[in-house]
Amino acid sequence: MTLTGPSDAVAPDTRTDAIASVVDLQVHFSSKEGTVHAVDGVSFDIRDGETLGLVGETGCGKSVTARSFLRLVPMPPGIHVGGSVLFRPKQPCDRCHGAGCNHCGQTGRVSVACTSCNGSGCAACEQTGNETVDLTSIPEKRLREIRGNRIAMIFQDPAKALNPALSIRDQIGEVFYEHRESEILERAGMVPDEVGTLLHRHAALHSRVPERLLLALPPLRSKRNQISRAVDEMVIDALAETQIPNPLKVMDRYPHELSGGMRQRVMIAQALACNPDLLIADEPTTALDVTVQARILELVRELQEIHETAVLYISHDLSLVRRVCDRVAVMYAGRIAEVGPTEQIFHDPLHPYTRGLLAALPSAQHERGKLVVIEGTVPELIDPPPSCRFSGRCAFSTQACETIDPRLSDVDVSHPVSCFIHHPPPDGDPPSFDRRTS
Amino acid sequence: MTIAETSPGPREASTPGEIVLGLRGLEKHFPIREGALQRVVGAVRAVDGVSFDIRRGETVGLVGESGCGKTTLGRCVSGLMDPTDGGAFFDLSSGERDRLDALLAIPEEARTDEQRSELDEIERLHRVDRLEGEAWKRYRRNCQVVFQDSFSSLNPRQLVRDIVGRPLKVHNEASGSELTDRVVELLEQVGLGRQHLYRYPHQFSGGQRQRISIARALALDPELVILDEPTSALDVSVQAQILNLLHELQQERGLTYLFITHDLSVVRHMADRIVVMYLGKVAEAGSTEVIFDDPSHPYTDALLGASPDVSEGADVPMRSLEGSVPDPARPPQGCRFHTRCPVATPECGWELDDVVRWLQDQEGMFDQIADVERTDAFTGMLEFEDEAAANALAAALRSEDVPSAMRSALDRLEVSGKRVHIGFRPVDEVVLTVRGPGHEAACVLDALPDVVDA
Repeated sequence: MTLTGPSDAVAPDTRTDAIASVVDLQVHFSSKEGTVHAVDGVSFDIRDGETLGLVGETGCGKSVTARSFLRLVPMPPGIHVGGSVLFRPKQPCDRCHGAGCNHCGQTGRVSVACTSCNGSGCAACEQTGNETVDLTSIPEKRLREIRGNRIAMIFQDPAKALNPALSIRDQIGEVFYEHRESEILERAGMVPDEVGTLLHRHAALHSRVPERLLLALPPLRSKRNQISRAVDEMVIDALAETQIPNPLKVMDRYPHELSGGMRQRVMIAQALACNPDLLIADEPTTALDVTVQARILELVRELQEIHETAVLYISHDLSLVRRVCDRVAVMYAGRIAEVGPTEQIFHDPLHPYTRGLLAALPSAQHERGKLVVIEGTVPELIDPPPSCRFSGRCAFSTQACETIDPRLSDVDVSHPVSCFIHHPPPDGDPPSFDRRTS
Repeated sequence: MTIAETSPGPREASTPGEIVLGLRGLEKHFPIREGALQRVVGAVRAVDGVSFDIRRGETVGLVGESGCGKTTLGRCVSGLMDPTDGGAFFDLSSGERDRLDALLAIPEEARTDEQRSELDEIERLHRVDRLEGEAWKRYRRNCQVVFQDSFSSLNPRQLVRDIVGRPLKVHNEASGSELTDRVVELLEQVGLGRQHLYRYPHQFSGGQRQRISIARALALDPELVILDEPTSALDVSVQAQILNLLHELQQERGLTYLFITHDLSVVRHMADRIVVMYLGKVAEAGSTEVIFDDPSHPYTDALLGASPDVSEGADVPMRSLEGSVPDPARPPQGCRFHTRCPVATPECGWELDDVVRWLQDQEGMFDQIADVERTDAFTGMLEFEDEAAANALAAALRSEDVPSAMRSALDRLEVSGKRVHIGFRPVDEVVLTVRGPGHEAACVLDALPDVVDA
């Protein structure tokens, strides 16, 4: 077994094609006992069109990282200490309006030019010329435009994430009303520029009670009905894309009337309704049965290929991550342990934690009762000392690991690791896989 | 260490030994009540006639999707629920077991009074839900349960000493300082210690809480431990610790486990024999090797295909099943799996409800149904709002739109005006048949076709 694995099959890491980058993100929570360092300096890139897996055990901060993308972490008790989540949004292609043409490479989306340098490359956009927004600092109004539109999220439990009081039609329709006002009007056979404010407000779901009363009267009533029909059509299209049988009927149901697999499909339809650039899937199949799980993952994969959406796939199930992801980031106790191409992570893990995690999976090859165990438990994240977070459970840790904080740095271009085994500590005894210390 | 490098370990073959617990036709139906008077209008057949044996010292894995009745079965076996019919028999001698099987083989009406009283006697002495007094106490000592959620199964207001010591107190085994010593001994066996005695459950991590549950289950030195998803709330690294611990304890104490789980990789690692359940019935039962290497039931095969092994690369495709589990209040006829089976044949029990289920997925057609009249499960009449819809259904049933097995099973298809008369060939319920030593499967096919295309 070699420690520095082959990487010839891997595309070179160029920052330009990253749709989103997390840069040294730190999210803490204040509690009675002290400050919990839930996410403590996490950095990784998500490239355009790829599936990045984020794996780790309960409480390692993977969900907090994902929720930071859409600023869904409640603050307080959360504290955004530092770092940023950079996102390079795209817009629907102006030539084909999202249908896919040669100009946009069949994706239906094109990059937005940076506002400060107009596409020539400056410091604000890291010389990419593409518009770059910091999701942790932009105003709420701008973030609302991105949520559900450019970045969408699939949650773990569809029974909890869908609104039980809204029919499927209303739930998915809301996404279109929120983000696709002009498309709705076009579909309804109206020209967006010529339509009055009243209908505009209705198509954006901004109308108030007196306005709605006006809309209920002729001659506006027929226009209003046209708009509803247009939204219904869009909802049906979205549902049909997730292979829900008989979408016309499903549309009028409420979440509790559907099975778990169907609910998850509805959530996927909702998430992909606006053809987002980035889809965050937070344990999308944990609440489902195995026989349905495979189908849902396949569906996400198919739709991802059609829309060329980048997916951040969060899971604790390593066998699924191996099937689904192009690259994997392993998290431990609020830090990234290593990031690399899936095959390298599974064949040739560099971090002792990843090795332990893989060896702990039960399989037919292990003799019963001889599973390799990572001793101890995940450390408390309340005001942790400067040390490798894994040093307490690591079989190879030395004095250096317990006093100095390893940083994530490249072993080869595509496989950064935060462990002193691969880049020696500034001072002290470097650990090695050949030497067990505990 | 990569996973591929670990060598396969030896696995003891299961030998037919003494039977600790025998399940015979266990049924648990939950009534569905409706209306102001709460009249019983039907029953959810959570467990519907399950029979298998658990031998001393072995681990039996019980797997299936959620809602297949595996937890209900565990609850019936542990005496937390009384079965509707049939039951679990504890501590049968081999003579008694043979006698019981012989008696149960006789149809109820055909039994003589003598046979009835003999059966009654065996049931009184051995059937778990009929045990009384000392025998019941003895069973409760010998059968313990470890639940999935250790947070809700440990009393948050009690100290660890009280939780683990409770069974000892109830059975007057120990008190005072002796009790404390016994509890410490138990805690040490599960990897905890004296320092944990006076803490509350919330002060422990998930893995430690599960260890406390295990210590409590072991307090009275039981023969049988029912493990109801003991590791599904735990992380991988902690799961490995608990699985190792369970194995060690089994070796030391000669425990028998009924391991209920939905995680196939865990069950493959832990179990000697596996029982696969689907919709309240046993689909397949056999030794772990046979179930994983040579499954005979398409459902087992689908389960295996849907849960990838981490050692397999991304090139091994994952398979999945279409549709959802049918309503257990109206289980399908014939083989219960035929509605989702990728290799269904005309003999699998196609029925009128299959047509209705199929119609539900068709645009517009389902709303056109005005009335459904069932003669029996297989034959009946569908009335539509207009003739066109009736003709459309008849045409669809003759075309490629419906599964070919369903088409071939169709006996009668007549359209008269708005009505469509449909009749399928009636078939009996598919029963478990022996496929090999200790291997049974409930499928009409003798062997699975080589290529199962889902």
